[in-house]
Amino acid sequence: MSELLRVDNLSVYYGYVNALQNVSIHVNEGEIITLIGGNGAGKTTTLMSISNLVDKAEGRVTFRGEDITRKAPDKIVKMGISHVPEGRKIFPQLTVYENLVAGTFGKPGTTKERMNQLMEQNFVLFPRLKERAKQAGGSLSGGEQQMLAIARGLMMDPALIMLDEPSLGLAPIIVEEIFELILRIREGGTTVLLIEQNASMALSIADRGYVLETGKMTLTGTGAELAVNEDVKKAYLGA
Amino acid sequence: MEYFLNQLVNGLSQGAIYALMAIGYSVIVGVVGMVTFTYGEIMMIGAFGAYYVFQFVGVNLPLALLAAFASSFVLGIIVYKLCYERFFNAPRHISLLCTIGFSMLIKNLVQIVFGPEAKPVLNIIDNRTFSIPLGGAVSIDLKLLQIVIMALVVVLAVTLTLFFNRTKSGVALRAVSQNKEAAYLMGINVKRTAMLGNCIGCGFGGIAGILLAIYYYTISTTTWGGFSMKAFSASVLGGLVDLRMSALGGLFIGIIENLGITISSATFRDMFAFGFLILMLVIRPQGFASKKGSRV
Repeated sequence: MSELLRVDNLSVYYGYVNALQNVSIHVNEGEIITLIGGNGAGKTTTLMSISNLVDKAEGRVTFRGEDITRKAPDKIVKMGISHVPEGRKIFPQLTVYENLVAGTFGKPGTTKERMNQLMEQNFVLFPRLKERAKQAGGSLSGGEQQMLAIARGLMMDPALIMLDEPSLGLAPIIVEEIFELILRIREGGTTVLLIEQNASMALSIADRGYVLETGKMTLTGTGAELAVNEDVKKAYLGA
Repeated sequence: MEYFLNQLVNGLSQGAIYALMAIGYSVIVGVVGMVTFTYGEIMMIGAFGAYYVFQFVGVNLPLALLAAFASSFVLGIIVYKLCYERFFNAPRHISLLCTIGFSMLIKNLVQIVFGPEAKPVLNIIDNRTFSIPLGGAVSIDLKLLQIVIMALVVVLAVTLTLFFNRTKSGVALRAVSQNKEAAYLMGINVKRTAMLGNCIGCGFGGIAGILLAIYYYTISTTTWGGFSMKAFSASVLGGLVDLRMSALGGLFIGIIENLGITISSATFRDMFAFGFLILMLVIRPQGFASKKGSRV
C-alpha cells in the first residue's frame, strides 16, 4: 500500500486562537480514514488546510510525494484531491446536472464521453439525482443535496475524496445510505478521508482513525481498536 | 394620449439601454462579489472606443460595438487587477473605495487626453421614423434608432444567456458567483474566472455606453456618474445578481423616467428614476426577485 497523502506537524491559527497544533496524519491508497472529534476539535480546519483554503502557520502537506503546502486550491483539486465541504455548498441556482458538470472542472481534459460515463456511474449510485437532473440544486432536500455534493465530488474522478460531515443533519436512514455509499466509493478505487461527529458509524467502516481534541491529536489506531477504546467510548460513543 | 404612448416607446428603448447596463453591472457584482463605482467611466471608455472607430474608420456600427466592448473589457482587466485582486483579503470597503478613486482618475484622465468638451455622435443610424397607426387618429412614432437599440439589447441578452447556460465557462462563472469557496473546490481558477466575468460585465457596459452616446447624439465626459447610479439602481431592483430581474429593473427605470417627464419637465428625469427606486425598496426591499427555488 503506497502512501497517498501525508500531513506533518500542521498548525493553524485563527487570529490568536490556536485551531490546530502539530497534527500529523497519513492516508494510504485504498483506505478509508476517519477523523473524529467534537465541535471545534479542528477536523474541518484540517481538511481546509489540506485544500489550502486556510493559511497554515506551520506544517507540510504532501500528496503522492509532491509538496502541496502552498499550492493554489484549484491546483490541489486538479491533482486529484476532491473536497466535499461541510454544509454541502452545492450551487443552489445551478441545476443538478450543471452542478455535476461543475464537478468535472476539477479534472481538466475530461471528454464529453468520460463525463457522461461518470454521470451514469453517479446516477447508479444516486438514482434520485437522475430524476431531479433538471431541477435547481437549491430545491433539493437536505439528504439529496448531500448526495449531490458527494456526486459532484466524484465527477472529478479523484484519487482521494475528503468528506466533511456528510451525515450532518440527516435522518438516520439516509445516514446509513451515505455510509453504504462511502464503502462503494472505496470499492470503486477511490481513497476516502472522512470527517464525522457520528463516531460509531465512522469507526465501523474506517480502516484507521484519528481522534482530534481541541486542535490536538490525542489517539490513533485502526477503526476497530478505537471503537473499543475506553476514552473514545466515553467521549464519542456515549457508552 | 399620443404623447403618452410615444413616451412609453421612448421609455422602452431607453429602458433597453438601462437594462443592458444593469445586466453588465449584475454580472460584475455576481462574480466579483462586490459593487463597483467605476462602472460609469467603464461605459464612457466604451463609448470613446466606438467614437474613435466612427472618427477614423467611418460609420461601421458592428466594428464600433466591438471596439466599445473591447476597450471596456481591457479597462475591466485594469480595474480588476488594481481594485479587486490586490485587496482580495482586505476588508471589502477597501475595494469599494478603490473603485471610487479609480473612477475619478479615469474621468479626469479622459478630460486631459481627449479634451473636456462633449463630442458629437451624429448620423450613426439615420433618422427614419416609422409611424404606426393604432386606429383612429392615434399613432406611435418609432425611430429606426430605437428599433436598432431594442433589437441589439435583446440579441446581446440572449447571447449572454446562452453563454452562461450552454458553455463550460458560463457554468464556471455562475458557480463562482454562487459560492467562491465551493468553486475553488471544483478546481475552478476563481481569480481568473472572476476577472473574466468582471471584464464581460464591463464589455456590456461599454456597449451600453456607446448606445447612450448614439441615443443622446453626444459623449460627455462628466455625466456618466448618473448612468452608473442608474445601472446600480436597476441592479438593486433586480436583487443585485439576478440578470433577468436587473434587466427588468433597467426597463422599468427607463419607462418610469420617460412617463414621469410627461407630467412634469425633463429636468426631473432623475428624480423619477431614483424616486422609483426608493419607493420600490420601501415596499419590497428584496427587489423584483423572489426567493423561489432556493430552499437550502
